[in-house]
Amino acid sequence: MEKLKIKNISKAINGLKIVDRVTASFLPGRITGLIGPNGAGKTTLFHIITGELRSDTGEINYRGEDITLLPPYRVARKGIGRLFQDVRVFENLTVSENVVSACYDHRVETPWFPFLRKKRWKALERDFKEKSDYYIDYVGLMEVKDVPASSLSYGQQKLLAIARLLAGGFSLLLLDEPTAGLNPVMIKKILNILKRIVAEDQGKTIVLVEHDMSVVTEVADWVYFMNEGRIAFFGRTDHVLGDKEVREIYLGL
Amino acid sequence: MNYILHLLIMIEIYLILAYGLNLVVGFGGLLSLCHAVFYGIGAYASTLLMIKTGISFLPAMLMGMAITALFAFLVGIPALRFRGDHFVLVTLGFQMIVFTVLYNWVGLTRGPYGIPGIPRPVVFGYEITSLIGYLILVGVILMVTIIILFILYKSPFGLALKALRDDEMAAEGLGKSPIHTFLYAFIIAGGFASLAGSLYATYVTYIDPTSFTLDESIFLLSVLLVGGTGNRLGPLVGVVFMILLPEALRFLGLPDTVAPNVRQMIYGLTLILLMFLRPQGIAGEYKINHYGKAEN
Repeated sequence: MEKLKIKNISKAINGLKIVDRVTASFLPGRITGLIGPNGAGKTTLFHIITGELRSDTGEINYRGEDITLLPPYRVARKGIGRLFQDVRVFENLTVSENVVSACYDHRVETPWFPFLRKKRWKALERDFKEKSDYYIDYVGLMEVKDVPASSLSYGQQKLLAIARLLAGGFSLLLLDEPTAGLNPVMIKKILNILKRIVAEDQGKTIVLVEHDMSVVTEVADWVYFMNEGRIAFFGRTDHVLGDKEVREIYLGL
Repeated sequence: MNYILHLLIMIEIYLILAYGLNLVVGFGGLLSLCHAVFYGIGAYASTLLMIKTGISFLPAMLMGMAITALFAFLVGIPALRFRGDHFVLVTLGFQMIVFTVLYNWVGLTRGPYGIPGIPRPVVFGYEITSLIGYLILVGVILMVTIIILFILYKSPFGLALKALRDDEMAAEGLGKSPIHTFLYAFIIAGGFASLAGSLYATYVTYIDPTSFTLDESIFLLSVLLVGGTGNRLGPLVGVVFMILLPEALRFLGLPDTVAPNVRQMIYGLTLILLMFLRPQGIAGEYKINHYGKAEN
């Protein structure tokens, strides 16, 4: 079953076509790569899917529902989570609070909830403490659990952002360069986590924007290659990376 | 003794204001410059209700709270379309507008003449006239305010506010609605400010628009900046410090001709020094820095 389907999406900013009639679909239980030169429109496409930007044409369908016009918080509530290129942890909150905040859903985050459903609140607090511990352990940040997120290293912040996405229970993860700027050990760690996510839950879909081809080869089964706003190629990873044109435009080989 | 009781009552009133504003400034990270508006509307609404309809203090106070909350909702909808400097300016605009209305709508508010002879509160059959009585009345309402706000501070709502404050885009990406969450905070802060306004009006028994000017809004904001925001202790420290410091400076024994000016200067200098030494406030955990909130 297809999960995320985007059809004929275009976006022009200041007259410049950033995304040009993109049609793609992403399957559950898979890691799909989205590669291409800088400025190819990959991040913009993510912005459009999550509702940060509105597309000029086309539609986006997630699990049979049209989500094209929804604002970002409602797209998120449908189960689409995103790892930002610039990480974006909640700096003044502890690691634990960062992850717990992802557990609560909006029905609980009203000002009247703690007064009307006191018992339920306390129960949720206990459950989510456990749940957040589980995911903090999952990404290996247990030692820094009570430390403010601002004092983590860049790599640790990426791990924290991933833990937050997992705790949020998102079924589709849009990851924008999860390994950029990290050392090889940290990259390996993150790749193992990604593999574990799809191995443990076949319902999860991961879309990965990545510049490091060894990363793409290692985890992605399928790859979309974007160039100048368009999907230029789609296919199995080795297939696309073996293509002569891709090698010329992108890899410079 | 009366002097000390008066200071304590004023501290209580300002604590109600500061703890409410903390939700917007400390948890939401939004620098609001119109808190005195809600303080004033609460004061005027409850006073006019008491004088014109003859209802007693508590129902007037609660109705004033409802009116102010509605007003905060109406101000919040346009103001919360903005962030950072623009939000500050929009709230400043509302502060000016409301002050001008209070000052010039003579038919309703008596404008610059003010409203004298505001009735003393009658609570459950007791008329409150003594300072001790006021200290207790304001104290009880302060306690209720603090209990409600402290629950909100540590509730999922409070956490969502802090998440949105630290990174709005990321929090929205986790399903938190900025407009709803910020608007709730704004309305709640407005509602509690109105309580403080009602109490202030019946305590001093006279109000005029000059008690609810931009200066007052700036004072309230500086209370939080000095004391610290985003936690329970900051507003307490800020209120006590900002109200007692000018009083303490009275006892410096300066010659009468220069005393008020020198006091003002020492006061200002203290604030400047504080910002250098502890930008997060004396007891704060979060440094207000709305310039750092980058939007993609």
